[in-house]
Amino acid sequence: MKKLEVFDPAMCCSTGVCGVDVDPILAQFAADLKWVAGHGVTVTRYNLGQEPQAFVANPAVVKEMEGGMGRLPIIAIDGHIVSTGMYPSRHQLAQKLNIALTAAEKPHIRVGVGDCTPGSGCC
Amino acid sequence: MSLPRTSTRFLFFTGKGGVGKTSLSCATGLALAESGRAVLIVSTDPASNLDEVLGVGLSQVPTAVPGASGLFALNIDPEAAAHGYRERMVAPYRGILPAAAIQSMEEQFSGACTVEIAAFDEFSKLLGDPSATAEFDHVIFDTAPTGHTLRLLTLPSAWDEFISSSTSGASCLGPLAGLEKQKALYAATVERLSSADETTVILVARADTASLREANRTRAELADLGIRNQTLVINGMFSDATSGDPIATAMAQRATEALTDMPAKLAGMPQTRIPFLPRGTVGLDALREMAHPETVASPTSHEMPETSLPPGLNGLVEKMASAGHGVIMTMGKGGVGKTTVAAAIAVALAGKGHPVVLSTTDPAAHIATTIDGAIPGLTVSRIDPAQEVRQYTEEVLAKASQQLDAAGRAMLEEDLRSPCTEEIAVFRAFARTVDEGKNGFVVLDTAPTGHTILLLDAAEAYHREVMRTQGDMPEAVRQLLPRLRDPSYTRVLIVTLPEATPVHEAERLSKDLARAGIEPYAWVINQSLLASGTTHPVLCQRGAYEVPFIRRVADQLSRECALIPWLAEAPVGRAGLEHLVARQPYVEAHLSAVR
Repeated sequence: MKKLEVFDPAMCCSTGVCGVDVDPILAQFAADLKWVAGHGVTVTRYNLGQEPQAFVANPAVVKEMEGGMGRLPIIAIDGHIVSTGMYPSRHQLAQKLNIALTAAEKPHIRVGVGDCTPGSGCC
Repeated sequence: MSLPRTSTRFLFFTGKGGVGKTSLSCATGLALAESGRAVLIVSTDPASNLDEVLGVGLSQVPTAVPGASGLFALNIDPEAAAHGYRERMVAPYRGILPAAAIQSMEEQFSGACTVEIAAFDEFSKLLGDPSATAEFDHVIFDTAPTGHTLRLLTLPSAWDEFISSSTSGASCLGPLAGLEKQKALYAATVERLSSADETTVILVARADTASLREANRTRAELADLGIRNQTLVINGMFSDATSGDPIATAMAQRATEALTDMPAKLAGMPQTRIPFLPRGTVGLDALREMAHPETVASPTSHEMPETSLPPGLNGLVEKMASAGHGVIMTMGKGGVGKTTVAAAIAVALAGKGHPVVLSTTDPAAHIATTIDGAIPGLTVSRIDPAQEVRQYTEEVLAKASQQLDAAGRAMLEEDLRSPCTEEIAVFRAFARTVDEGKNGFVVLDTAPTGHTILLLDAAEAYHREVMRTQGDMPEAVRQLLPRLRDPSYTRVLIVTLPEATPVHEAERLSKDLARAGIEPYAWVINQSLLASGTTHPVLCQRGAYEVPFIRRVADQLSRECALIPWLAEAPVGRAGLEHLVARQPYVEAHLSAVR
């Protein structure tokens, strides 16, 4: 069984409630992770503000972070980093995990991350 | 005795800043101690002056109050407690994770919610754990947890889903993620709060409409949570039937009117009235007077003390008018008169022929409606926080909720009731309004706190750094940050009253703004009895009490300062507001004047 890990920036909420504008990407990404999990992938999500030990436990992640906080979020599959600095779309996740998309599962391609700014401490 | 009945072991005093929570807590504690009980007074209010009131230096452990056998007090600074959490969470990773990561972790722990939850955690240690306070017959808190905090902690999903696994949300409880073991303690705390045998919540209000409205809101919110053992204290009741002094007559009449119009459910509660005590409530003697006001000797002097007073509002308005355009913001805690001052400035600027937009969040918008359309060039617009929050909430739920299950949706909805949601929602309306200051004057009675400004600044920095684009940050918001920091575009006026807590809170506000790189243009001291022209002996005594606070603001805190006397005629309508600007502090007319 494949294992997908998401290393998030230090966010106060993954809902995006506390930003300047509502951010659909985070909510969509959360939904996409649920979808991925429904295809038999083990999904684990770590928030830097709350689970720093998970970051420390993965030397490749720490090394990426030395390049700046812009490298977060980091997505790893079975311990190997597959993307940095962005939330992949459902389509991209499917490709990386070899999940076949049905016609009904149209890709949601969006770029960018949330307004619930990492480290903002907004709530 | 004039204090509220106190049969339960735990007493919570709640109400807006400046209504006298700390004084009442101390007076009640002192009275209980002097009747032979062992009493602990606890403050978790960061703006508390508990040590000053009791005349003893306090720490986080119970300290005996000299001169009051059986009375102990402790002071918890929730900001320090929040800082403590931060250290516990971050320290183990210093030197292991990159410095930027450490910094971003630290930043997460500086929000209002962290402080609120940290305060609750401190409450819980005292309330949820019987051994912590075993030696005391009564434990008195000078603040109560907010409805938001209580609801959050009683949501099962707060613990079960969002803390044990952060796959779908972190919310305001994020800072407590490592403290799951506290769950039982918090449950015990909430249970004690709702037990009528153990806990009384005392709502403290002044005899004015806004204060009573706030008390009623708190009453309903706590009752909804099952906390029904509540009583009401009306503090600082001024009555005057005979003096004929116009200021005294008007004060007494306004208090009577506010009490007559009090919400029905509030009026139906057990109620205690404490008379106006002109000399403040610092020190044990003053606290004893609060319990036994009938023993207080009536003052006889009809003269105010001599002190040089800041000028009226007029000079400030002249200076601001000369800029020709820009944004003027009145800031301060509720009840200090932000809306009145904003409306008066708007009227004065429009009277000089400038186009002016007055934007208010005053829920009644009474002052604003009295001048809408009355003066050419003046438009009144309203930001309705309830409506802004509703819109924002609907928008968020529409975008996010279909992916959430019932528990997740409940959590998101509670997130949306947090104080920062209102700030953000109002902020969006605020950004739209500030944009209009390019061509004329915009006067606002609301302003984001330094924390919100920093939050948005961080958002902007993040967009720049990570996105390497401007992202979808709205243009008005991007322009806003530099504009708020530009002293030639934005002028911030801090409004306060010449009393201990309002000045203390205003000082905190100005520090918060300084963190965001904003320096107030001027301070406005509102409703000064010292400058009102009254010769009523009690009010003259009150005037003397105001002196050190006026001096602190005028001499130490502000670059520029104006003072508005307490006015017998309520400042509404064009004439009333023009009078407020034109009116010079009374003492200045026949005593020495500065500037």
